[in-house]
Amino acid sequence: MPAGRAHPEAVAVTTSPAPLIIQTRGLTKRFGSRTAVADVDLTVPAGCAFGFLGHNGAGKTTVIRLLTGLTRPDAGTIRVGGRPLPGHHEEVLARVGAIIEEPRFHHHLTGRENLQVIAAVRGPQARRRIEPSLERVGLADRAGDRVGAYSQGMRQRLGIARCLLADPQLIILDEPMNGLDPGGILELRRLIADLVGEGRTVFVSSHLIDEIEKTCHAAAVIDRGRLIAQGPIAALLGDGGSSLEDWFLALTSRIGARS
Amino acid sequence: MSRAVSGPMIAADILKLRRHRTTMATSAALSVGVTALYLTVVLARHNGQLPGAQTLGDGTSLMGLYFGSFAAILIGAEAGTIDVTAGVFRDLVATGRSRTALFLARIPAAVAVALAFTLGGFLLTVAAALAFHGSTPAPGAGLIAESALWVVLATAVVTALAVGVGSLTGSRAVTLTVIIGWQTVASGMLYLATFLGAARDLVLVFAVSRFQPGPAIGTRANPGSSNALNNLKLPMPAVVAALIILLWLIVPAVAGAWRTRTRDA
Repeated sequence: MPAGRAHPEAVAVTTSPAPLIIQTRGLTKRFGSRTAVADVDLTVPAGCAFGFLGHNGAGKTTVIRLLTGLTRPDAGTIRVGGRPLPGHHEEVLARVGAIIEEPRFHHHLTGRENLQVIAAVRGPQARRRIEPSLERVGLADRAGDRVGAYSQGMRQRLGIARCLLADPQLIILDEPMNGLDPGGILELRRLIADLVGEGRTVFVSSHLIDEIEKTCHAAAVIDRGRLIAQGPIAALLGDGGSSLEDWFLALTSRIGARS
Repeated sequence: MSRAVSGPMIAADILKLRRHRTTMATSAALSVGVTALYLTVVLARHNGQLPGAQTLGDGTSLMGLYFGSFAAILIGAEAGTIDVTAGVFRDLVATGRSRTALFLARIPAAVAVALAFTLGGFLLTVAAALAFHGSTPAPGAGLIAESALWVVLATAVVTALAVGVGSLTGSRAVTLTVIIGWQTVASGMLYLATFLGAARDLVLVFAVSRFQPGPAIGTRANPGSSNALNNLKLPMPAVVAALIILLWLIVPAVAGAWRTRTRDA
């Protein structure tokens, strides 16, 4: 990580020279007088599962909203798939699938109809992906049920099916384990691994550090709006033998004490 | 990805509306239901006979100005707010499709759904006026066609208005209250405020009524008929009425599109 503008305690570990799917420089977002995201230089290599860690309110969702064009940065640049946002908004987001905060749907429509709504906006190829996407997340049998009758886990899976309509290069999942039972978490882990195996990048934002360690190859840590570490997980942990959770807590408390 | 509105986008917005059972049931009750009730009452009062032209005029007013327009406002308000209230708006925006296109797809979808109800009620009136006119003259094909076109105009304008205001406010309740209050209570009061002179021409319902086929300006629709519905007609040139209608179409649409583009997703 280029540490020029990052926190003085920031941990930078060189990643492999894989092409970058996400690259931000000096990304900053303010809400009134509060700075939610400050000078974030994030680099996410293509074709991996990438964890985005941080405490609640650290700025994870704001970064995701910036990456998906839902809000504009006050400063800095964003490149997704090599193209700048918001300049190439439509081309970039056509190949990005995202679940932001929690998957939301029209509860009065069935699972399949909800996908039809998004597919209609994405285009004809997305319409052809509806049934395969439902099959892939194991919802084909319940696709005719109204979403209002779905469990939280089924909604998460339907949210992933909605992402797959884009045939995405990049899938952004914000707290995807929320509300899932152990079986659902295991299933999601497998699905993420499969998606990465197909050459896609899965960007997982979570405060469940254990899950990130089990699911992801690389990670970044955001704390109070500033990126304080990023790189391959094995390299971040070093030879200390600690878990990602211990490392994360030690890092954030050390930086918190200095701030 | 295209910036344009596509047919499937309009079809998807129609799907969202027609699968909303409460809205559909209420719209059916306000249009076909109220028309059936009205016809039943008039039939009972006139011993099984309906005065043909009067019935057609009253049924046309019911759909274009009164209960049919309430259904159209309900559908337009739903179309303008449904994505925001369901929390799906951000997912639509995150597809990269332009927000203006998302907004523009709502208008034809809502108008199509609203027309299904108001024309349904109107056709019921036509059928009854033809079947039960008895010894009175049946309404002619020309009058029926003109009345149908006017119902289409009145429905389309008020539905588009509701979509625009709904998209602007993001609240179905606020949209319904503001538009129904304006179209009925406020417009009714302004109709009586003769001291305002030509300024009253700016009121949408008067401009739309200018094109309603039937009775002369400034009269009740059908004096002596069972319900004597007001036609709310004011004397104004057709070109002025057309420009005012255009204004009422463009201003709320621009406001709704602007809010859709700037709304925090």
